[in-house]
Amino acid sequence: MRTGHFREKPGQLIALSDSRTVWGWTLALLVALALAPLVISAYGLTLMVAALIAVVGAIALNILTGQTGLISLGQAGFLSVGAYANGILLADYHVPVWITIPAGGAAASLVSLLVGVPSLRLKGLYLAITTLAFAFIVNHVILYAEPVTHGPNGLFVNGARLFGFNVQKGPPLYYLALAMALATLFATLNLSRTRIGRAWMAIRDHDIAARAMGIDLVRYKLLAFVISSFFVGIAGALMSLQLRFINVDVFALNLSIEAIASIIFGGLGSVAGATLGAVFLSFLPEALRLSFAALPFGGADLLGNNVYEIRGIAYGVIIVLVLRFKPDGLIGMWRDARKYWSQWPLAY
Amino acid sequence: MQFFLLLTSTGLVSGAAYGLIAIGFTLIYKSTGVVNFAQGELVMLTAYIAFSLAQWLGLSFLPLVALTIPISMALGLALERVFIRPMLGEPTFAIVMVTVGLAVILRGLTILIWGSEPFNFTAGMPTRVVVLAGVPFYPAQLWLLAALAIVVVAVWLFLKFSRYGVAMRAAAGNETAALLVGVDVSEIHALAWMISSAIAAIAGLLFAANFKLAPDMWFQGLKSFPAAILGGLDSIGGAALGGLIIGVIESLSQGYIGEGMREIAGFIVIIVVLMARPFGLFGSREIERV
Amino acid sequence: MRTLLASCAALLLVSGAARAADPGVTDTEVEVGDVNIMTGPAAFVGKGFSLGSKIAAAEINAAGGINGRKLVVITEDDGYIPSRSFQALTKLIEVDHIFALNGTSGTANVMAMMPLITDNNLPTVVTEAPASLVYNPVRPSVFTFGANYADAFYAQLKYIHDHGAKDGAWGIIRQDDDFGKEVEQGFDRASKEFGAKMGPALRFKKGTSNFSAELAQMKEAGVTVLANGGIFAGAANILAEARKLDMDIQSAGVWSEGIPASARLSAPAGYDFMVADYVSLVGPANDKFKAMAKQFVSDDELANISRYTYVSYIGLKTLAHAMSLCGKDLTRACTIEKLRGLKDFDTGGLSAPVSFDNPRQLSGTAVGVYQYDVKAKAFKALTGFQQY
Repeated sequence: MRTGHFREKPGQLIALSDSRTVWGWTLALLVALALAPLVISAYGLTLMVAALIAVVGAIALNILTGQTGLISLGQAGFLSVGAYANGILLADYHVPVWITIPAGGAAASLVSLLVGVPSLRLKGLYLAITTLAFAFIVNHVILYAEPVTHGPNGLFVNGARLFGFNVQKGPPLYYLALAMALATLFATLNLSRTRIGRAWMAIRDHDIAARAMGIDLVRYKLLAFVISSFFVGIAGALMSLQLRFINVDVFALNLSIEAIASIIFGGLGSVAGATLGAVFLSFLPEALRLSFAALPFGGADLLGNNVYEIRGIAYGVIIVLVLRFKPDGLIGMWRDARKYWSQWPLAY
Repeated sequence: MQFFLLLTSTGLVSGAAYGLIAIGFTLIYKSTGVVNFAQGELVMLTAYIAFSLAQWLGLSFLPLVALTIPISMALGLALERVFIRPMLGEPTFAIVMVTVGLAVILRGLTILIWGSEPFNFTAGMPTRVVVLAGVPFYPAQLWLLAALAIVVVAVWLFLKFSRYGVAMRAAAGNETAALLVGVDVSEIHALAWMISSAIAAIAGLLFAANFKLAPDMWFQGLKSFPAAILGGLDSIGGAALGGLIIGVIESLSQGYIGEGMREIAGFIVIIVVLMARPFGLFGSREIERV
Repeated sequence: MRTLLASCAALLLVSGAARAADPGVTDTEVEVGDVNIMTGPAAFVGKGFSLGSKIAAAEINAAGGINGRKLVVITEDDGYIPSRSFQALTKLIEVDHIFALNGTSGTANVMAMMPLITDNNLPTVVTEAPASLVYNPVRPSVFTFGANYADAFYAQLKYIHDHGAKDGAWGIIRQDDDFGKEVEQGFDRASKEFGAKMGPALRFKKGTSNFSAELAQMKEAGVTVLANGGIFAGAANILAEARKLDMDIQSAGVWSEGIPASARLSAPAGYDFMVADYVSLVGPANDKFKAMAKQFVSDDELANISRYTYVSYIGLKTLAHAMSLCGKDLTRACTIEKLRGLKDFDTGGLSAPVSFDNPRQLSGTAVGVYQYDVKAKAFKALTGFQQY
């Protein structure tokens, strides 16, 4: 328990954390992440890369949905644009990867303007379905624009080299994904502490009141779309690098639903929540597979082929249970745990 | 002309399917403020239940419907009590997420129980083609159109004249005020889910008879979302009309333009309409007070 | 300090590269992987396929295994989603250390797995989705068994033409992906060669069940020969819509329509539709297979046997045969070499003999044409296996 906590300089007011302990633990986490390839198997690394990509996507979606309150089901469409932009530039035009990844982000941002402008007046579910509509339309256009996107044949993405390393597999890909995830995290945390972030939160809480206070809704809503989809585009570019082969089937609707699930499950509105939710949901299928395989008394054999469907059901059950008992999501669980830890043995 | 009539008639049929499912969405949203993302899965599950009933008991169409409706209402009640009731008072997006989780569970459950093979399901209806005004129809398609009309009228009458219907409208308007005048709001929520499941059963049965009974039927629920949005999320008649409009536009655009326009025609329509009317054609404008 | 950092960095980057010489082989066992569609709406395809692997492995092990080594099949589910196929194969390679790959799921799925297959030089037999994308360009360790959809459709349309096509236009409905493109290629080849009157060539999105607009266009154009590129429920919907419009058509279909479940769906429309397949659908070879399979599977599973079972069985048998030719010293390189030299491997009549000794490492391109007799509720063979 800390008492007598004073802040003496303006910088301390907006610092991410003023506690030495927190920074120490954060550093330890970063070091652990950096040394992960030494201890984790190659399969585990691919899972972690997938989780990091999901984190980038979730944090980006959190900007739009959690911070600005604009519910978006169009994640799959923006991922698709980012992935295809990255893939086409890399594979067909041999542009170096350190340009194609931001280019993927930029392409997604441009498309998001197309989504954002008609959506300015829409609220709630109407907005969600409009973004869903755009995701479908984007995928449709990509499928039919065969001369540019290879249409139904799909696209092989290779030739990504950075500092002489092939960043499409193994540890180099992991470090690239880690760097992108950290960059997205810090960018978002910083944005939240500026007037842009505060404007977004005002819009989320009550946009008419925000307008009355002088916040330009058009400008900030469009900014939310553009910045959010920039990072989603980068996540899509990373996906295309990892999968090495993409076609429109990869960017089906379930990606949008998983993205929304990660941020709600993790705790709507908080960046840490989005990160936790994305990591948890990325590892959940693997965790289910391991726990079902470890069932006692050969239980896994008893279930036979049904084990696959049962794992799918278990995924849904876990989502329902967590939300039932902790509607605040994982970040709510974390905060409760932290409070309990710091206040023990006192109750409050 | 014949081509145009053909396209319009089949557009109306598929639009009726969208409309029926959309009414299910709208009813729950109107009464509880929650978007039920599991509606498509509910349609699928009740269709499979009807299929099993038809197989065991060999019923013809109307008795089958009469038997499936109470079962699906019981199912809707059970789902509401188990999944939604404990979430009373929690933020809406958490409840919506629970329906998403519920959808995943129902999808897996359907394949677990019935397998993943598609089935042939006639729902006890005759299969000989009927010709009306030079346009051929399967009886199942005519029943689908009739069902939409009957359901819309029935729900409208229920909401306007019956005690429970009026209570539902009160709860939809302002829950706290409804509680104050003595409306049991939790009962109303359960009732909304039950009626929505009954409609889902009708929709599922007819959809399966017309198109297919397969474990990817739930996608139809997602495709019916634009219908609900077009009509306005809290308008029953709007949902039905929205479904019909989208069905016809999809069919006409696919027939005359092609290039897979059917897939995105519905979405393009709602984007255009929402730009002009942000709450759908007949949706009520949300008045926000600062 | 600098050297310490440099060596740490080098260690980190190299740590992923160390790999065993040839995984999946011990003195007593050899492990083959299957990436199958075990969940989701297409699961009955994957389960049929998985059955074939199971039967082949059981038969081989009952006869002593592969040079004394027991054949173990490890299955992973991908739910027909390409990114999951990639993850499933990663797991099979990194965690289960498979030696070779038999089950490859659909076309988009096998393409998603291709970078991993080529990186690891994994001996792979592709039997479920023999699309031309798989062997163009040819990958050194990938062997494809199966005709492409173009030849399958050409064969049926040729049969229709040779035996008196109805007067009228030829139309095609196909999916808007690479599979559909191949179907259209076969259709184009046939319609050009036989000088047919061209009707509409329509595309639809996978999962469509409402074909009313398409069939209305077909009827408008007077189509009497239809290339039905739909699968499962979609194909049945197309035929049902045609029946509603009272169209008199001869229909050529995808081999997915040759399984009992699809036939049950399409039968009510009352058309004697055709399919072409590179494995046998009916005949003494199939009866013999089922009699043999009875010893290894339950009665429930026996009812699930379909063409997917046959292709998977053939795939694993050819792999096992090549492995057995390598003797005690079983390596991937040797298996690939033996597969390349495979000529006229007999599959017991389930298909034409398998030969991979050609530049594309492709076999099974001969197709047989079958027709569904609505009255008899069974398929009958119209032609034997022929090259087109």
